Amino acid sequence: MSMYLLSAHDISALVTELQASYDVYGPQVEPQTKQVFFDQLASAEALDLAAPIPSMPVKEILFPQMERILKYKYDAQSQSVELSKQYFERPKVLFGLRPCDLSGILVLDRFFLGQEFVDDVYLTHRRQCLLISNTCLHPFPQCFCVCTHSGPDADEGFDLDLTQLKDGILVRVGSEKGQALADAHQWSVASAAHAAEFKAVVERSIDLFPELATDNKAWVAKVMNRITTGFVKPETWEYIGDQCFECGACSFVCPTCSCFNIEDSATACGECERLRMRDSCSFEGYARMAGDHNPRQPVEDRRNKRFFCKLSYPQSKKYLRPGCVGCGRCQWVCPGDIGLPNVVQYIRREITGGQN
Amino acid sequence: MANCHGNHEHGNCKTTGLCPIVTFPEVVNIDEIRDEIPEVKTFYLSFPNKDVEREFRIKSGQFIMCTVFGAGEFAVSLPPSPENDRFHISVRAVGKVTNALHALKPGDKLGVRGPFGNGFPFEDIKGKNIIYVAGGIGLIPLRSSIVHALQHREDFGRIILLYGARSSQDLMYQPDIKEWQQNAGFETFITIDKPEAGWNGEVGYVNQLIEKAKVPVDNSVAFVCGPPVMFNSVIGEFLKRGMSEDAIISTLERQMKCGIGKCQHCAVGRTLVCTDGPVYTYRQIKTLGEQI
Repeated sequence: MSMYLLSAHDISALVTELQASYDVYGPQVEPQTKQVFFDQLASAEALDLAAPIPSMPVKEILFPQMERILKYKYDAQSQSVELSKQYFERPKVLFGLRPCDLSGILVLDRFFLGQEFVDDVYLTHRRQCLLISNTCLHPFPQCFCVCTHSGPDADEGFDLDLTQLKDGILVRVGSEKGQALADAHQWSVASAAHAAEFKAVVERSIDLFPELATDNKAWVAKVMNRITTGFVKPETWEYIGDQCFECGACSFVCPTCSCFNIEDSATACGECERLRMRDSCSFEGYARMAGDHNPRQPVEDRRNKRFFCKLSYPQSKKYLRPGCVGCGRCQWVCPGDIGLPNVVQYIRREITGGQN
Repeated sequence: MANCHGNHEHGNCKTTGLCPIVTFPEVVNIDEIRDEIPEVKTFYLSFPNKDVEREFRIKSGQFIMCTVFGAGEFAVSLPPSPENDRFHISVRAVGKVTNALHALKPGDKLGVRGPFGNGFPFEDIKGKNIIYVAGGIGLIPLRSSIVHALQHREDFGRIILLYGARSSQDLMYQPDIKEWQQNAGFETFITIDKPEAGWNGEVGYVNQLIEKAKVPVDNSVAFVCGPPVMFNSVIGEFLKRGMSEDAIISTLERQMKCGIGKCQHCAVGRTLVCTDGPVYTYRQIKTLGEQI
C-alpha cells in the first residue's frame, strides 16, 4: 500500500480540484449550534476533518430518507400511461468518512449490490463514487467500534484514507482509483517513521475508548452466538421490547439499516411519483397486510428483528461482517435504554446470571 | 429485459436464462375482466411490447408486483400455467390498491414487475402423487401448478384436489374445475362450510376431506394454500397420518414492497418471502418461528 504525506494546504487543494468534476461531501460544523453534518461542501474551507462524529450517518447521501424513483402520467380517458424513469446523478466524493460510516457503506454495498438482485436505485448513487476515510483520533462517549471491528482506523473499502500526524496528513491508498489520484499529483512519499507513527496514533485512540466499549469487546461475538442459535430467553426479549417506544429513531440513525417502503403519491391530476422512503421494523404497521392481517403484532417480535439483523450469522453472511458498525448513534437517540451496546449488556447479564 | 438487472449467476436468470423485470414496471394492457366470485375478479393481461412478452416466462408458484397507476403496487400470485395459458391475475378487492384495480375497465393499463420468487419444486416431485388442498381464494396460487401438472399428466401418480369454501358462491374457477375433471384420474372433492339449498356435495371443513378422499401418504406431496386456520388443521391431519414434513408444501403471504429482497418487509424468520419463498415446505415453515 502506497503512503503519502500531505499538508493541510494539499488537502484543501485536493477538495477544490475534486469539486470540478464531483459533488464533494464532507463533515462540517454548523457555526451556531455546533452540530456536525456530513453534507455537500460549498468550499474547501468548510471541511472540518477534526469535527466529532456527525449525528446522522452518511447513508443519507447514498440512501436518502425519501427519494423519487419513478414518475408517471396516466389518463383514464385515452387509457394511456407514460413512464419516465431517467434520473441523473452526479458522481460523488465522500471526503473524511469516519471508519464506522465507511463500514456502514460497505454493508449497504454488499446488501444492495451483492445479493440475488442488484438494486438499481442504490447503484445509481454508488456508481462513480469516491470514498475517502479519516482515522478517528478521539472516540466519543458512545463509540464502540473496537467491538465490531470497524474502527478507529479503516482497513478496507476506501479509495484514500487520511490520518492526522504531527507533520501533516498521512494518506494511505486503498484502491486503483485512489492510486490513480495519487499518481496525478506530486505528493511526497511517507517514510517508515510516519508508518510507525500511524500505528502509534491508532493504538492511542484505542486506549481512549470508554469502559463500556473495551469491556464489551469479546461479548459482541458471544451475543451473536446466542442470538443466532436462539438461546436468548423470551424474558430478555420482553424486557428489551418493553423499553421500545416504537419511534424508529434507531433505524434512521443506523448506518446499516436499509429497510424501505414504497408509495405512489399524486403530484397533480393524473400525475404520480413513486417514492421510496426509509422504514423501520419497529413500527406496528411494518408487516401489516391489506385486510389487516398482521403477523408481527407484539412489540418484542418486532424489536428482536432489529437485533437479529445487526447481530446474527445469517445476516453477517450477507454483509461479510457484523451488521453493527459500533457508531453508537442508536445509544444516543433511544428514548428507552435499548441502544445496541445496552442490548449486548442485557444478554450478557442473562448469560452470566447478572454477575458482570 | 435485454439488460440483466440482477446477478446472472443467481436465481431467476440462472434457472430460466431470462431476467425478470426488476425496477421499472412494464406496461400491460387489460384485455378482459371476468367476475369470479363476490369481490374477486380475474384480469387477462397482455404486453404491448412483444419483445418483453416473449421473454416474460413464469414458473408455477411465482408472483409479480402489479402497479395500479395512481394507487400503488401490490404483490400477487400468478394463476396461469407456464405453458399455453393466457396471462392473467385473480385479485380480491381488499385494500386501497386492489379496490382501485377493481374499478378499472378493459383497455386500461397496469404495470408489471417480475416474475419473482422460487416457485413450486416440480423437478423434485416427478412420479409422486400430488394432493392439492385449497381453501377459498387459496386456489388462485395453486391453479398454475394444477394446470401444469395436468399438462404433464404422465409424470405424476394420482392428482387429487381437495377444495373448500364458505359457500357455493365462494368457489373459485368453477369452469376450470369442470374442465380439469375431464382429465383421466383427476380426483376432486369439494366441500362448503354450511348446508345450502341445491347443494348436493360435501358439507364441512376441508381437513375432513382428507379422510373421505383416502389420501395416499406414501410417495405423495401436498400443496396446501388457504387461510391460516385451515392451514393449521390440514397440516395437523397430514402429520397424524405420517406424512413427511418435507412433503407438505405451501406458499406464504406477506406485505411486499420491492419483490427483490431489499425492502425487507416480507422477512419471516431468517428468510425473505420474495426471494427465498414464497414456496416453503412445512419443515421450513416450522423453523421460521413466526405466525403464518
